[in-house]
Amino acid sequence: MTAELPGERPAAAPGGELAALLAMVARGDEAAFAGVYDRFATVVYGLVRRIVRDPAQSEEVMQEVLLEVWRTASRFDPGQGSARSWLVTLAHRRAVDRVRSAQASAAREVRAAVAATDYDVVVEEVETRLDAQRVRRCLESLTELQRESVTLAYYGGYTYREVAALLGVAVGTVKTRMRDGLIRLRDCMGPES
Amino acid sequence: MLRRTDPHTLAGAYALDSLGDVDREKFERHLGVCESCRAEAASLRDAAGRLAETTAAVPPPRLRGQVLAEAARTRQQPPPVRVAERVRRSWHGFAGWPAAPRMAVAIAGVGILVALALGTLLINSQVRLRADETQRSQIAAILNAPDADIFTVHAHPHGSATVVMSHADHALVLTTARLPVLPSNECYQVWVMGTQRMKSAGRLPPPKQGMTAPMIVPGIAPGDHMGVTVEPAAGAQHPTSPPVLLLALPLH
Repeated sequence: MTAELPGERPAAAPGGELAALLAMVARGDEAAFAGVYDRFATVVYGLVRRIVRDPAQSEEVMQEVLLEVWRTASRFDPGQGSARSWLVTLAHRRAVDRVRSAQASAAREVRAAVAATDYDVVVEEVETRLDAQRVRRCLESLTELQRESVTLAYYGGYTYREVAALLGVAVGTVKTRMRDGLIRLRDCMGPES
Repeated sequence: MLRRTDPHTLAGAYALDSLGDVDREKFERHLGVCESCRAEAASLRDAAGRLAETTAAVPPPRLRGQVLAEAARTRQQPPPVRVAERVRRSWHGFAGWPAAPRMAVAIAGVGILVALALGTLLINSQVRLRADETQRSQIAAILNAPDADIFTVHAHPHGSATVVMSHADHALVLTTARLPVLPSNECYQVWVMGTQRMKSAGRLPPPKQGMTAPMIVPGIAPGDHMGVTVEPAAGAQHPTSPPVLLLALPLH
């Protein structure tokens, strides 16, 4: 543990703020961890809730995700992508793991699949932010098959083989639509704000 | 399965966490050797992550206190050690060790190796292990320890060992793969040694399909090394041959 020099402050650049917080969390700074929670609890909880659906399970997964952030903050590598992306990826994986393990014991309902294509928020929605509007607009710019492939996978937690079965198209088609769709999203959205 | 398909087409499904376990492992192995793929995967991962903007929702307020309190009593993982470490001290540095050539110890701290090795361990512990429940739960505790670190060490002349070490428990779980097969009058014996002491941790169980079941090595201390030697089948009081593998234990 190295003591922080007086006056030394993390860079306040957009996106860099979270990275700086994570670096402090890695050194055991509980206040910095609370800061990460306050900035990302709504994003993490909303995503988990969207994928897992069940409120009680969503809370469990939410706690797992945040604790994993606490435990593994030292493994965040700024060279591999943004801090926000690292955090959201972690949350998405945990949520997907939860629904896939649940799926192993019980066949999933088609109803959930249909609901998953509706990417409006179902639970208490936070005020719509500019970023969310931009993401929605960009989603609209995808072809229908690209959009359905991407949203079923991301919000529904389905594997690409399941997505292919749900959409009734070839597995290879789904793979390329997912990639093309994400490339189009990436180019439409521009850099993170 | 990636068989005969172009792995690059999986980048989108990968970024969406939409690959099954087998496909994901294969794709990650491919990422390990394809720099442009890593860059694309990262940019698509960022794009996918932006989709979470549309689902933001306020969590129940009580969660905040629970999470912060839980974090306060949870130990954090150390940063990954990426450099290959080399044991520089000669074998003569350890009391009682016969002379032996220096051995290279590769430490793989992160990534796919970890997942693969841990997967192997878990399969071992679930399928192969027939030890009593106590030992089984001790092994599970170490494998699941929040502070567990994992290392892969190459053995001489071939084979490898995988070690999962829990700092808090001062213990590790050892498995080996593809060590040379020994005649029936010999065995592999595991040793833990500091500069002042040397103790046997017991004999490796006989291999099945080239792999040995997980073995617990308790009571390790900072600065200790773990070594494996070939000994008579009944075991030895002190090592009588050069080690086939040696690992410096980076215990806190």
